[in-house]
Amino acid sequence: MQKLVQKAFRYLKAKGKSLDEVEFVVLDLELTGLDPKVHEIVSAAWVTMCSDRIQLKSAMHIINSDVKQLDQSPVYHGIDEQTLNEGVSLEALMTELCDALHDKVLVCHNAYLDWGFIRLNSKALGLEALPLAIVDTMQIEKRRQLKQNTELHQDSLTLANCRTRYQLPDYEVHNALTDALATAELLLVLINKIGAGKPLKLSALM
Amino acid sequence: MTPEVAEVAKFVALQAPFSQLPEAATHYFVSHLEIVYLNKDNQSQWLKSTEPNLYLVRSGQYDLVNAKEEVITQIAEGDYFGFPSLLTGDAIQNRIEVSTPGLIYILNQTSFDYLRREYKAFEQHFVRAHANRLLSSHYQQKSDNWSEKKISELLTRKAITLGPDASIRDAAVKMSEHGVSSIMVTEQESLIGVLTDRDLRNRVLAKDVDPNMAINQVMTAKPKFIFENNRVFSALHLMLKHNIHHLPVLDENYTPLGMLTSTDLLRQQKSDPVQLIGRIYKATSVQQLRLYAQEIPALLKSFSHNIDDISVMGKLLSGLTDALTSRLIRIYQQEHGTAPCAFSFICFGSQAREEQTLHSDQDNGLLLPNNLTEAQRAYFKGMGEFVCEQLVECGIKRCPGNIMASNPECCGTLNEWSERFFKWIKSPTPQAMLNCKIFFDLRFIDGSNELYSDLCVSLERISKNELFFAAMATDINANSVPIGLFQQFKLEKSESKHKYLDLKKRGVVIINDIARLYALKAGVRRANTLERLDALTKFNLISAKDIYNLKDCWRYLTQLRLKTQLNKEGLPGNCIDPEMLTSLEKHQLKEAFYLIKQAQQACAFKFARGSL
Repeated sequence: MQKLVQKAFRYLKAKGKSLDEVEFVVLDLELTGLDPKVHEIVSAAWVTMCSDRIQLKSAMHIINSDVKQLDQSPVYHGIDEQTLNEGVSLEALMTELCDALHDKVLVCHNAYLDWGFIRLNSKALGLEALPLAIVDTMQIEKRRQLKQNTELHQDSLTLANCRTRYQLPDYEVHNALTDALATAELLLVLINKIGAGKPLKLSALM
Repeated sequence: MTPEVAEVAKFVALQAPFSQLPEAATHYFVSHLEIVYLNKDNQSQWLKSTEPNLYLVRSGQYDLVNAKEEVITQIAEGDYFGFPSLLTGDAIQNRIEVSTPGLIYILNQTSFDYLRREYKAFEQHFVRAHANRLLSSHYQQKSDNWSEKKISELLTRKAITLGPDASIRDAAVKMSEHGVSSIMVTEQESLIGVLTDRDLRNRVLAKDVDPNMAINQVMTAKPKFIFENNRVFSALHLMLKHNIHHLPVLDENYTPLGMLTSTDLLRQQKSDPVQLIGRIYKATSVQQLRLYAQEIPALLKSFSHNIDDISVMGKLLSGLTDALTSRLIRIYQQEHGTAPCAFSFICFGSQAREEQTLHSDQDNGLLLPNNLTEAQRAYFKGMGEFVCEQLVECGIKRCPGNIMASNPECCGTLNEWSERFFKWIKSPTPQAMLNCKIFFDLRFIDGSNELYSDLCVSLERISKNELFFAAMATDINANSVPIGLFQQFKLEKSESKHKYLDLKKRGVVIINDIARLYALKAGVRRANTLERLDALTKFNLISAKDIYNLKDCWRYLTQLRLKTQLNKEGLPGNCIDPEMLTSLEKHQLKEAFYLIKQAQQACAFKFARGSL
């Protein structure tokens, strides 16, 4: 119970922070499927961003060498058995990721999916993933489009289609790191569109 | 090692200079980048002097705007900006204006310096880009100078015209309606005369002429005129020379566009040298001329501080020499009677090219009609001797090569001059080539313009000779720019063991030679190098880009020459010690020489079929 109160308090405090005060970790996971209970994390990649600047120096891309069942998933992310051998254990991957997320704002495109995998995997390993807040670029864009009474189709909210809407460059290479950067760039545009030159609080993105 | 974002690396690797650099350079660049979204709301926060960065455009479109709010260049995907202050450490003057927002890659000074140290090609790329930017911004500054302005910029109202049959009263009414002091008389859109306030006073009222008479009875027929594309300086010169206050301005098709008045020019005029030209044209004695000529060096010195473009200096000095010459011819005629037949006083070399300096010597001659009597020849011999001698008195030195109207060889008839040129063209010996380089830069100063045109026509005819062009091209390539292997300067040694670079002989002269060759080929009747190059844009002989580059190099080298003339230390004139230059200036100079070399080679290929 106390933990829940603490969480709620943290959440409220985070919402009031200005964007310049927080650091974003923009993340993308490559998965073997969509169900956190069944499927596995293949790799995790992220870039950090603060004061409206994406820092490529901070780019990370870690592969999980413990993956048991790749199945058909290499078709999507291109990581095969051989590449897996270059990776680290799931525990090492999750430790690094939880460290990176600590007190930072986690950003994903469709955060529901990624966060589900992070929560479950960290719990299983006895780790604590404690981001300051979670921001979902897909949800932000969905709200913006609905506000403008745009009719949304099944794939209107994919990362690529959201980027096209804001004239961001087309990316052909698809891996976790490129998608993390693609999400970060989309976030830059969204922050600008929402703020229109005025400083924003984190709540504007949540 | 930081993992590299594939899409960013893919993009960067395609951009210059990374396309020529090892992969490690791209990797370093990519992993040290920051990415921002540049848009209208945050455009003012970039390009800060306190935080110089290199910016590379990934997407979007932007304008680079200078302190005077002029758009320097448009920037889009793959373009860099911000590098000049990284190279020079100077404060940033430009700002960025967003047309379409997009993503920008930012590299900080520390990382930029690292790449600059590690990769020569990286440094060269940005130094070269900076040099090009400087050259082109210098080119833009030129228009700030009033006398370099185009006449079209001063024209404020449309031409007020009437037909030749309109009555004098109609003209007066129209002039007062429009509040102007003159009217242009046109027939089928072309100018046939000018009527001014003064004409109404002197030729109508004072003579009691009937105001119902047609204006063609009292107008000034066949008036002097100027083209809209000419420079203000030329208009001023023309008005002072002929003592007129109204100058019709025509477009290229000879259609009247408007009237330029002396008041328009006075509004522009801020400098003394130009007034001096006016005084010279009014001088009535040799003593007066000498007195005025003494003022020239001091005036030019004070003027040179307020001037950006050295080509104006050359023009002013040549204008002063022209004025002195014209006036001396007039004085000679007052003392020895009006010339017995038509003649043209012409000039050659640097005076013709309007590139004169205070140290330039005389290069002039007299062109006379064929079938001259001995008495007529004697008259002009006297004129040549008088003018040249008095010019010396006015501080313009004798020509060591004796190219002067006082020399009987330079005082010839149309046929004699044509014969001389023909001899040089027919047998292109080195001496003949040298003569061609001096004499083919020729310009009319005073006398009969028709006679001068006849000579030009004759020269055009005899110079149409492929072998001659090949010989000229070969000759141009015999002179090389002072850049050796590995992009090092090749220095010359003076007697006092100073090492130096000759900017004139190894740079400016080559550009002059190239411009002359193309101008002869195209039949362009101009002597000034920049004007020749401008005129060549209408022909398919040389690409617009090459013309632009040659003009820029010419200006840059001339400017540097002026700068070194002002503060020299025991070096021969026109020479510099490259050690005195900053590293940036060295790179710019190498860039200029490099472009000249390219133009030289193109010239050889075109005219000498590369047979060197």
